[in-house]
Amino acid sequence: MENMNIIDSVDPEILNAVDKRAREIAQGATVNGKLAALLALGSIPIALGAIAKDVYGQTTADVNNVLQFALLLEFLESDFYTRGVASTGMIPTAVLTVFTTIRDHENAHVTAIQSLLTSRGQTPRTKPVFDYTAKGNLAGFNFGAAQYSTFLAVAQAFEDTGVRAFKGQAGALINDKPILNAALAIHSVEARHASMIRRIRGGKGWISGNSRGDLPAFTQGVYDGEDNVLQGGINISTLTGASENGGTTAASEAFDEPLTMAQVTAIVTPFLP
Amino acid sequence: MSDKPKMIIPDSGMLMTPRSRRDILKLMAMGGSVVLLPSMLTACSDDDDVITPVGPGTGTALTIDFANGDTAILQFAYALEQLEADFYTKVLAASNAGTTNLTAADKAIMTDIKYHEVLHREYLKVALGTTFGFTITTTYGNLNFNDRTAVLATAKALEDTGVQAYNGAAQYIKDTNNLLAAGKIVSVEARHASAIADLISPNTAAFAPKVFDDVARPATIAGIAQGFIVQKLGFANAPATFVPGPNGVV
Repeated sequence: MENMNIIDSVDPEILNAVDKRAREIAQGATVNGKLAALLALGSIPIALGAIAKDVYGQTTADVNNVLQFALLLEFLESDFYTRGVASTGMIPTAVLTVFTTIRDHENAHVTAIQSLLTSRGQTPRTKPVFDYTAKGNLAGFNFGAAQYSTFLAVAQAFEDTGVRAFKGQAGALINDKPILNAALAIHSVEARHASMIRRIRGGKGWISGNSRGDLPAFTQGVYDGEDNVLQGGINISTLTGASENGGTTAASEAFDEPLTMAQVTAIVTPFLP
Repeated sequence: MSDKPKMIIPDSGMLMTPRSRRDILKLMAMGGSVVLLPSMLTACSDDDDVITPVGPGTGTALTIDFANGDTAILQFAYALEQLEADFYTKVLAASNAGTTNLTAADKAIMTDIKYHEVLHREYLKVALGTTFGFTITTTYGNLNFNDRTAVLATAKALEDTGVQAYNGAAQYIKDTNNLLAAGKIVSVEARHASAIADLISPNTAAFAPKVFDDVARPATIAGIAQGFIVQKLGFANAPATFVPGPNGVV
C-alpha cells in the first residue's frame, strides 16, 4: 500500500522512463552494482529511486546542491565587488563603470539563485564573512586605495574560477532545463567578466595554457588543467591548420576547461571564514 | 611562370560538378589559369553562380535533422564556427593587405579569435566526420572588410550570436560529454564577445550588457546566420518545445 502511494505520486513521465529502463534491465542491460543489489532485495521504493537516478543521471538533491554551491561563489563575487566599488579612490574612474556593472550582475545572480532555491522549497545558504587576506596569502589586503592591483588580480582569479565552476556543473543539470539555462546564462556572463578583467590587467581575454601569469602562487589551482588540448579524444593542437593557427597555445585557449566542485572548493577555501 | 597550374575544361558539363568548380576557384587563388575551350564561352556567361556573389539563402538546401540527436547540435555549431572562422580569415586578409583602419590591438585580438574559430571548426569537422559534415558558402553582402566600424559590428553580432546559440541549443543535448564540449566553447565565445564589444565601446558596460546572456532558440540563430550563408538553412524534426532562459524567449 505504501509502495502504491509512492508510485501514485511519481510523475507519469518518470514512471514511463523507469518502466522502460526496468524492461531494459530485465532484458539484460547493464546496471550498476548497487542498483542490482536493491532490485535483488525487492525493495521497490528504494529501487524506484535508484532507477530514477539511473535513468536521469542526477537527482533533485544534486541540482539543489549545485545551486547552493553556485550561491556561495556568487556571494563571494558580489561581496568582493561591492566592497571594491565602495572603496573610495581604489578603482580608477576610467574603469569604474566596468566594476559597477560586474557588481550589479553578481548581486543579481545572488538574488536569482536564492529565488530558484526558495522556489524549490530549499533554504538558501547565508552569506559568510569572507577573508580577503585569503588566510594570509594576501596579507594586509583590505580594499585600500593603494591596493588596486591586488584587487584586480583577485578579480581575475574569481572570474576565471567562476567560469570553470559553472562549466563543471552543467552535466549535473542536464535534466533540469530551466536550471541548466540559468546556469549557462550566468556562465557566459562570468566569461565576459573574466575577459574584461584580464584585458584591463593587460593580458589576453582568454586563458593560455595553465598559466596564472602574475597571479600569486596560491591561485595556481584556478589554472591547473587549462592547458588541456584533448577534446573528446581529438587533439586540437594537431588538427588541420593548427600549426598556422596558434598551435598548442591557441588550442588551449580555444577551449575553457571545467573544475569539479571539490577543486573549486579548494580554490575558495582560503577566502572562507 | 610556366609552372603555374593550368586546368583545361573541355565542355560546360564539367562546370556543373562541384569538383571542377572548386578546382577553378583554387586555381584562380593560386594565380593559375583556366583554359576554356571555344565551346565553353557561351555556356560560361550564363553560369553566374560561379562568377558573381550570391545572396543569402539562395543556394542549395542545408537541412539539419534533429532526428540525428546530438549530431544535429554539432552540425548547427559547425555551421556557425565555419562562418566565424571564414569571417575572421577575411578580416585578417584585409588587414594584412594593409588596406584597413584596424588598430594593432584590434588585429592582435582578432588574430587570436581567428585561431580559436578555425580550431573550433576543425574540431567539429573531425567530430562530425564525412557523413554528417558539410561546407557552407559565406556571403557578406556589401560589408566593407576595410572599415573598422563595420568589421567590429559584424564581429560583435557573430560572437553574441554564438554565445546565445550554444546557450540555447544546450537544452537539446542528451550526452553530458557533448554538453561539456559546448560549455568549453561557449565561454570562449563569450570571452571574444566581451573583447570585441569593449573595442567598440571601451570601458563601458558593453562587454557584458546583460545580467544573464540570452538563451536563443535554434530557429532564431538560424535566422541570423542565414544572412551570411548562401545555402538555405533549414531544420527537420526540430524539437517542438523550447525552455526559455532567464531573459524569456529569444
